[in-house]
Amino acid sequence: MTTTTTTTTATTTTTTTAKTKPHFWKWAIASIIFRLILIYFPKNLNLATRPEVSTPVTSLRRLAEGYWLTQSSMSPYAGSMYHGSPLLLSVLGPLTMKKIEGQPYHLLCSLVSVIADFISAMLIRATGLKLRMAYCERLKLLGLGKLFEVSEILPSEDIAALVYLWNPFTIVTCVGFNTAPVENLFIILSLYGASTRVAPLAAFGWVIASHLSLYPTILIIPVILLLGNGPDATPKKLLLMYKKDEGGSSSKGRVVNGLTEQKSFSWRPVGLFFVWVFIWTLYTLFMCGIFMRNYGGLSEMFSRTYGFILTVEDLSPNIGVLWYFFAEVFEFFRDFFLIVFHLNILFMILPLAIRLNHRPCFLAFVYMAICSMLKPYPSVGDSALYLALLALFFNELAEMQFSFFLFCGYVGVSLLSPVMHNLWIWRGTGNANFYFATGMAYACFQIILVVESVSAMLNHDRKIRKLVAANIS
Amino acid sequence: MESKFVLCFLLLVFSSHLCNGIASSSSSTTTMHTNNWAVLVCTSRFWFNYRHMANTLSLYRTVKRLGIPDERIILMLADDMACNARNKYPAQVFNNENHRLNLYGDNVEVDYRGYEVTVENFLRVLTGRHETAVPRSKRLLSDEGSHILLYMTGHGGDEFLKFQDSEELQSHDLADAVKQMKEKRRFKELLIMVDTCQAATLFSQLQSPGVLAIGSSMKGENSYSHHLDADVGVSVIDRFTFYTLAFFERVNMYDNASLGSLFSSYNPNMLMSTAYYRTDLYPRRLDEVPVTNFFGSVMETIHTDSAYKAFAGKYGKKSILEMPLKQSSQESRRTLASSDVRYPTTDSIVEDPQDSCPFLKFWSFMHGKLAKVEGLDSWVNCSLLFMFPMVAMSSWLSS
Repeated sequence: MTTTTTTTTATTTTTTTAKTKPHFWKWAIASIIFRLILIYFPKNLNLATRPEVSTPVTSLRRLAEGYWLTQSSMSPYAGSMYHGSPLLLSVLGPLTMKKIEGQPYHLLCSLVSVIADFISAMLIRATGLKLRMAYCERLKLLGLGKLFEVSEILPSEDIAALVYLWNPFTIVTCVGFNTAPVENLFIILSLYGASTRVAPLAAFGWVIASHLSLYPTILIIPVILLLGNGPDATPKKLLLMYKKDEGGSSSKGRVVNGLTEQKSFSWRPVGLFFVWVFIWTLYTLFMCGIFMRNYGGLSEMFSRTYGFILTVEDLSPNIGVLWYFFAEVFEFFRDFFLIVFHLNILFMILPLAIRLNHRPCFLAFVYMAICSMLKPYPSVGDSALYLALLALFFNELAEMQFSFFLFCGYVGVSLLSPVMHNLWIWRGTGNANFYFATGMAYACFQIILVVESVSAMLNHDRKIRKLVAANIS
Repeated sequence: MESKFVLCFLLLVFSSHLCNGIASSSSSTTTMHTNNWAVLVCTSRFWFNYRHMANTLSLYRTVKRLGIPDERIILMLADDMACNARNKYPAQVFNNENHRLNLYGDNVEVDYRGYEVTVENFLRVLTGRHETAVPRSKRLLSDEGSHILLYMTGHGGDEFLKFQDSEELQSHDLADAVKQMKEKRRFKELLIMVDTCQAATLFSQLQSPGVLAIGSSMKGENSYSHHLDADVGVSVIDRFTFYTLAFFERVNMYDNASLGSLFSSYNPNMLMSTAYYRTDLYPRRLDEVPVTNFFGSVMETIHTDSAYKAFAGKYGKKSILEMPLKQSSQESRRTLASSDVRYPTTDSIVEDPQDSCPFLKFWSFMHGKLAKVEGLDSWVNCSLLFMFPMVAMSSWLSS
């Protein structure tokens, strides 16, 4: 009987997607064309110089410098310009040097960013489809299917993919000559692999994403939960409650089948995942070790990439909150406050994992949002990622409060931040406090977004539990 | 027998002492006079002390004219008269009402100006105890072959000299500084010339040998200005310095005029004070000392008939040996300094994890091996490219 339910859901989805499908592809192709048009503008519209767009760890200009240093038989980390992965250097480095006649200088790298954006959007769409299917299936299992067919379930995967493609933040990041689209691609790849339970793909995405930037390491928890539990769904105890009450009814058989499938945490994909993580880590470290064999080895690489991020060496302004603080902290207290700021992220991991363990994709979104807030070198590319992940839960978060306020807040901050930067740096009529105020406002809005979305999600779960309880009684 | 031994022993000791004494005294007389320094200090500020500035600048001009270069003159002027708002002749300082000489020309190098002229800085100059940031132009870099002229002018009194209208240099401070200079072998001979009221009291505490001192007046006497320039509005020169300059204007670099003639040229009636000088610490006779020993810079030249080749044998071999060493060290230094990254070499990687796990040892061993293999960069690119099909295949297999 589960097969019949899946076919009915499939038919409903096909009818809706048949309507939205041509629209989706129209909009997707339009966004690609828009990006290509923007790339042809000279000098990336000066977006590469904006601190909101390119950071010391993602800037492609620094990658070009690192590549030039390797061409001159020196360590790419000499001179403290480049702080990324050596593998990215071998892939993107030659592209920064190549110049096609008659085309803008940065064309090839920007094309890579456009392709990365497109693949990320497709992967988001596939993940969203999986999530939506699982959501509808779970609702059917709980006997609430009829209720939710009345109110239409929107195709969240198309919405999420279009949000990712048409988000001004994503477009600016894509045109802005940096490596954030590639990093986002690997994060989304790991989430896709985990939601489709393809362990090597998830392991690959996770390893490369953590290698390129440090913070996706904490995504290991949602990835393990996805591999073990499956995609997002209402809490297990709800199903058990339903099963208890449905014990006496005629539909016992089919419900039990569905439950025994999903009851236990399946360790096999997780075990495979760890094996593949081990393989990919060794592979990556081996390649990096070969690359860095003459320049001080892996320890040098780690101290210059992860060490640079963790010790917050570069205090140039960005939309984060760390630069201002660490510019004024005394040397004596610097280590203490570094630990405080990094633990701020680490302390939030466990409670959120406990509370949201039944919704790993949403957990991944919350983690990404928190990282984007408390990273040393954030950029709008990080918010591009988590806003797309947020849109995946369009159906569950339909009743989120303050959504308009947050939207206006984001628009306001993204408009004011360059203005304040200009006032401070170029005109000299403002000072650092102007710019930091917009950074703080941005962090506040992100906090509100995270808090409100988590409470909206928990409210949604509560609502479903009430409905199930109402149905039973 | 024993008494004979004792006598011999005593003789030996005595002779050794004698030798030592002779050696030490000969060591002091064997140092040659190699350079000349001048420290010219004007300690007064305010417009009505114009004449003290003019005194110092006149001496500066004289000393330069007779050959001491600016590098070896420390000129300390406590105030700026040339560009004073009350100066009717801006950027010009005169020492005579006929305005014949402008003392403040293009090439006046003032080392300590304005409020930098303090007792502390003066004593630091004399003793050479500066902070590390003080530039060489402000240091008295004399050595044991130097003859130093120290000229001080301003307002003074019994055993003191007034600096900047707020501080005093006392006679025992000056004596201590000179004693330090002597111990640090900062001069061979020192001439102190003081033009203030009761000037002779300022060097009354001196005890270091090799010092000659002359003051414009004795204890209880004032030193007077020479004449008032009605145009400038203040007195423009002091008597003592006026007559000193009158002596020096007749002297040029090649003259043999002696210090004795200088000192005897001072007429107490004209000076209206007694120019007192003390020679008890100075070993030589004043008639034998030319004035250019202190006021000019006339070096003794040794004429040799031999050509440069005579010295080639002595120093040539040494220089040839030294060159390649320097070059090689420079070259090695050049390669090391190519990048600012201080990373450990492969050898140190092998040495470090000696007591750590065998995995790290294996890793460092492989590292060392790989470092020697070439052509691995293309290998990295190939393995990168191979990664993607591997991912695709593995995911296809497991789905």
